[in-house]
Amino acid sequence: MVQLLEIGLANVELNLVSDKEKRLKFCINDHMDILIEILQRLDGRSLGSAACVCRLWQHITQSDMLWEHLCFHHVSPRLPSGVRPVVAALGGYRRLYMLCLRPVLSRLGLARQLSGGGGHQEVVRRVWTRHLVELSLSLFCVDYYERLGSGGGGGGRVGDASASSLMFLCKPVNV
Amino acid sequence: MKREHHRTLPPPNQTAYGAVGSSSAGKGKMWEENDDELLAVLGYNVKASDMNEVAQKLEHLEEVMGQAQEDGLTHLASESVHYNPSDLSSWLESMISELNPLPDFENPSSLPSLPPPPPINDSFFEDSNSEYDLKAIPGKALYPQFPPPNKRLKPTSASPSSSLSIDSVRPMVLVDSQENGVRLVHTLMACAEAVQRDDVKLAEALVKQIDLLAVSQAGAMRKVAAYFAEALARRIYRLYPQDSVFSDLLQMYFYETCPYLKFAHFTANQAILEAFSNKKRVHVIDFSMKQGMQWPALIQALALRPGGPPTFRLTGIGPPSHDNSDHLQEVGWKLAQLAETIHVEFEYRGFVANSLADLDASMLDLREGEAVAVNSVFELHKLLSRTGGIEKVLSAVKEMKPQIVTVVEQEANHNGPVFLDRFTEALHYYSTLFDSLEGCGGGSGLPSPSAVSNQDKAMTEMYLGRQICNVVACDGPYRVERHETLSQWRTRFGSSGFEPVHLGSNAFKQASMLLALFNGGDGYKVEENGGCLTLGWHTRPLIATSAWKLS
Repeated sequence: MVQLLEIGLANVELNLVSDKEKRLKFCINDHMDILIEILQRLDGRSLGSAACVCRLWQHITQSDMLWEHLCFHHVSPRLPSGVRPVVAALGGYRRLYMLCLRPVLSRLGLARQLSGGGGHQEVVRRVWTRHLVELSLSLFCVDYYERLGSGGGGGGRVGDASASSLMFLCKPVNV
Repeated sequence: MKREHHRTLPPPNQTAYGAVGSSSAGKGKMWEENDDELLAVLGYNVKASDMNEVAQKLEHLEEVMGQAQEDGLTHLASESVHYNPSDLSSWLESMISELNPLPDFENPSSLPSLPPPPPINDSFFEDSNSEYDLKAIPGKALYPQFPPPNKRLKPTSASPSSSLSIDSVRPMVLVDSQENGVRLVHTLMACAEAVQRDDVKLAEALVKQIDLLAVSQAGAMRKVAAYFAEALARRIYRLYPQDSVFSDLLQMYFYETCPYLKFAHFTANQAILEAFSNKKRVHVIDFSMKQGMQWPALIQALALRPGGPPTFRLTGIGPPSHDNSDHLQEVGWKLAQLAETIHVEFEYRGFVANSLADLDASMLDLREGEAVAVNSVFELHKLLSRTGGIEKVLSAVKEMKPQIVTVVEQEANHNGPVFLDRFTEALHYYSTLFDSLEGCGGGSGLPSPSAVSNQDKAMTEMYLGRQICNVVACDGPYRVERHETLSQWRTRFGSSGFEPVHLGSNAFKQASMLLALFNGGDGYKVEENGGCLTLGWHTRPLIATSAWKLS
């Protein structure tokens, strides 16, 4: 018993000594896979904050894969594989989240909290239905189409770039 | 137009009209009733013959208030209950008697006995003169509610105490302005009736009256009244509106600020998507091409459908554009870009036609093995202005052999033979519509204001205003906004050889979800009506989507 304790203590000492060196040597930025695993579990707002930490983190959080995970990780049944190229072509998952999914979820979540018994918003998010995904994708596509218009042709719109058919989803401005 | 809050007291020997100024009108016309017109606009019932008396009482009140102790005034502010303040004469009486415990020396026989409180909310609605069930109009457009304290008070709620220039007295009671709203509606009806009878002089006078009354309203009702007044004026003076320029542009604002068009597109697309399941080559013929806002969502849904996208052909039909640009082709080009981006084979053809009745199925290059869908959003009712128009188009549609025909129309009957009926219907309909717009812009559902700007709302209102103008001012072939109800369209389609296709629960759920996203979303209602979906505001359906196939 005492022997084990001695060995244990010796180990601890060793650890204490090399811990400091280890601490100096360990940097999460060297372990991208762990970093990505962690970032995958964040919600949208935290991902946004993470993007402000350093250039590396900013670069990583801009990777669409993280946002795809955030967007559709909870959806079941799983979306068909054709979704990814379409979303990528229309502007990417990050844009989809920022423009459509986040406001849609918050509006509907809010509505549910007000009307229902007030469950956590996380729980509500897990009950994403197919319809919500389809609706968000449709709105996203409409947004892309409108950006096409203001970019090159005119087509009868007075050139106010801020006006868009997704305006109704925009975060209300605190005047 | 600055509202005067300090009205000078008329000296007893002067006539009423000159002295009591209200900046909203110059010389008021003598109205049929005995009430002073100018004060009535602001909500006070003062008989013209009593003006002297009222003026004397105001002076007396000022005197008494000047003499009263501080407590006397605060007592008035917090504990007293005053009834029927719009009856200025008796209200002053009650004020004076409350401040002055001695019996009023002008009326020695009166003791301050307050009249029983009139049921302020309901008394107007039982008015036996009213033939119109105004109660049926939901929302606040025609019955402006008492404004909640955090909103800006309407100018009409300035109490008479402000005219006495005693700053320490806060306005104690607010004037009931519901009566003005009812008067406004009655005047509109009366004017329409005069127009129908061709009584030009009366109609002219009434139109001016409407303008006067409209000023005292706020929000939706004021705008609706203004548009209807303008349309009536145009009808009276035969100043018909010109060709609609920029109608596409205005419709874009309508698309963006409120959910009606989006609802139409989403529900129609869902029906088309379901009809096209398992088809490898599809062709959509769109009678209402405009900016093509309906199609990106369909193309995307086709791209993601299980089994992969079909080859998608779109034929867009629209009126000639005013500025020589081939806007149909531009729209087609944009859609082609979108389709290429998401890898859907796409082909487009644009057709310019002055009227849908000029179309023929043979022009459209229909190919073998294609599944055809025909789509029309707010276009079919225009054909009712020409005899035989709608029949020709429906038979052309039948020749196209469509899998499905999706139709979206306004849910209202603005095509009756009698002008007054059309007018009444239109008034109800557009009041409800404008009421729903107020919710959109103001963001009633969320605490902070929405991103929809006032300019967008104004353009949307202008779009609707043009429709109002057409319904009311025009006639014959120029009146194209000949809306008909869902049941009327059902009969028409049924007798032309079509049978209904029920829109499924997918469309219903998606539509409900879409509406929940809009500010004021709790006011919108999606309802199912015999397989068709209607979108309405509170209890009133406003647009209806239906789907048909050949029987």
